[in-house]
Amino acid sequence: MLAVTVDWSYFSTYGGELIAAIGRTLLVSVIAVVGAALVGLVLGAARAHRIPVVSQLAAIYVEVIRNTPILVQIFFVFFGLPSVGITLDAFTVACLTITVWGGAFNTENFRAGFEAVPNRYREAGAALGFGRMRTFLDVTLPIGGRIALPPSINTFISVVKNTSLLYVIGYQELTYTAYNINALSPRTLESFGTLAVAYLVIVWTMSGLIRLLESRLALPTEAR
Amino acid sequence: MVALIPSLPEWVEPVARYMFEVGLPGTLRIAGLALVGSAVIGVVLGTLLTVDSRPLRAAIRLYVEVWRGLPILVTIFVVFFALPSASDALRFDAFTAAAIGLTLWGSAQVAEATRGAVGSIPREQHEASAALGFGWLGRHRYVILPQALRRLLPPFVSLLVNIIQNTTIAQVIGAAELLETGERSAERLTFTTLDTHALEIYGAVAVVFFLISFPLTRLAAYLEKRLI
Repeated sequence: MLAVTVDWSYFSTYGGELIAAIGRTLLVSVIAVVGAALVGLVLGAARAHRIPVVSQLAAIYVEVIRNTPILVQIFFVFFGLPSVGITLDAFTVACLTITVWGGAFNTENFRAGFEAVPNRYREAGAALGFGRMRTFLDVTLPIGGRIALPPSINTFISVVKNTSLLYVIGYQELTYTAYNINALSPRTLESFGTLAVAYLVIVWTMSGLIRLLESRLALPTEAR
Repeated sequence: MVALIPSLPEWVEPVARYMFEVGLPGTLRIAGLALVGSAVIGVVLGTLLTVDSRPLRAAIRLYVEVWRGLPILVTIFVVFFALPSASDALRFDAFTAAAIGLTLWGSAQVAEATRGAVGSIPREQHEASAALGFGWLGRHRYVILPQALRRLLPPFVSLLVNIIQNTTIAQVIGAAELLETGERSAERLTFTTLDTHALEIYGAVAVVFFLISFPLTRLAAYLEKRLI
């Protein structure tokens, strides 16, 4: 038999702690989402326009990050780098590793988006007397950025979910906090139930917003 | 004899042996279980997502959205720590719990991809096979799924890469996979050599995963071009 009785006093005792932890999860998520968007935008543009050296380095960065587990990356930075004298605190490692991971995936998303912009649009920009930068900002970015939007938002959702892995470096985000509350006073249903529900609320809210944003930013069929 | 190759430090050999003889098979075992589980459950659920029953579709949709929405670590925590407190029959060892967690996540991914692939098979195929006297099961078993599975090949290879990388999450609950054996080695070395050698060990773990993943991501990209 499944015994399901919720002890509501759990929430009056630990509610504040859990809300602070959700705050830390969201803080790292927001920093990493913004950072990953910037990294993806710049390196994606460099890849799409085949800017020498930068493009090749960006390709290596993308392949290394995409083909190694993010948990190993976190271990490497937090536990490995101190042996060569680079010791970073948990918050810095949290923001750094999650951003670097998201940035690699976004570089691919934006590269594909920018490359999907037909060349004749850029030629039209040139014909209007736009320079390379202006053509990118006024032509390639608005169109390619919208093509890249759905996959990059999926990357953002993964970024948020990946913050749970920061548990291993003891950063007090949601997963670490819920786990530790349960370790101190085992009320498994309440701890892991809250943990799961909180992530589902965050992730489902994000994917709901995406659908809204997607229909608002969808390219007019003319442009295709 | 003069060694032409600089010899490796003494600590390397036992660590490498431990990681390759215990860790790597552990990783592959979790990945294998999760891949088979995800494929079987995912294809069945994904096919059922195309049938004309609202309640059934809603139930499967919920399954997909929940396991896709949760971080895999949280799913594994729920399976490993929360299920045993509900019933003793649901007590799993770390390997099984990790494989179950990865399967729940993977099957949700496969279900979504299968729904798309089955939906992309032209309507005439359904009608023609119905005209030949096939029932729903026969129609899907012999006509629709063989074609849909071909389109599923690239996402399956990508899933394999993701599953292999995500087996490292089993480290958190102590399953002796590659990352966990590396972590144990680093811990042990602290006592014997007064240095964790964590940089070299986690670097090596990353290299092993890269060597497995890189050819597979290339293969996925190639299949995507060839088959679509």
